[in-house]
Amino acid sequence: MRFDIESDRVSAFARAVGADPADGVPPTFAAVYSLGVTAPQLFADEDAAVDFGRLLHAEQEFEWRRHPQVGETIVSRARVASDTNRRGMRLVSFETETTDQKGSPVCRSRALFVIRS
Amino acid sequence: MSERRVTFTREQIADYAEASGDQNPIHLDDDFARSVGLPGVIAHGMLQMGIAATIASEAAGGPGRLRRMSVRFAGMVVPGDTVTFSAQPAGEGRLDVSAVNQRGEAVLTKAIAEYEP
Repeated sequence: MRFDIESDRVSAFARAVGADPADGVPPTFAAVYSLGVTAPQLFADEDAAVDFGRLLHAEQEFEWRRHPQVGETIVSRARVASDTNRRGMRLVSFETETTDQKGSPVCRSRALFVIRS
Repeated sequence: MSERRVTFTREQIADYAEASGDQNPIHLDDDFARSVGLPGVIAHGMLQMGIAATIASEAAGGPGRLRRMSVRFAGMVVPGDTVTFSAQPAGEGRLDVSAVNQRGEAVLTKAIAEYEP
C-alpha cells in the first residue's frame, strides 16, 4: 500500500497527540502510514472474521530507521505473524514493514490485537 | 524528566479518530461501546501511545531521534480520566515511559523508548 505523507494530515495528527506541528512528522504517525494503511484490510476481510467492536489493541512496537518527511510517498506491506487462541481470546499479531520509494527501510510495526469472545 | 498531565475529553478522542483515520465506533459512539460491553467510549490505545511518544520525544531531544518505542495497553482510558505521562532516562539512549491515571493505575506498561543520543 502506498501512502502520501500530507502536511494537513500530519499537522492534525500532531495537534491530536499534543505535539508541535512545527516539529515535523510525529513518530507515532506510523500508526497511520504503517499500521493504519494495512490493518483495515485485515479487519475488513470476511475470512478473517474480525468483529470490530470486540477488537482491542493490546501491544504496539515501532522501530524507526528514520522518520518520513512531509511530501514523501512511502510503501507498506503487512502480514499476520500469528493468529492463536488463549483462554477464550483470539490473539492476532500483525507486522508491517514500511519502506521509502527507493526501497530503503523506514519503519517496522508490530501490533498485537486481542479479539474478545 | 519530561512529564505532562492530560485530562481526556470526547473532543480529543474524536479529533484523534479523525486525524488517525481510526473511526472504530468504540471510540465515538457510547451506545455502540456499551453494546459490546464497554463502559462507554474509550480512548484509542494509539492516542495514549501518541501522547507518550510526544513526551518521550521531548526527553530524547526531538522526535527525529526516536528509534524504537514499545508499549502494552494495560488499562482503558475514558473521557474525564486524567493521565500523567512521563519519560525518565534509563541509561544511554533509553527512556522508561509511564502513563498513570488518577487512581494510580498504569494504563501503559512495559513502555520503553530508545533514541539516538
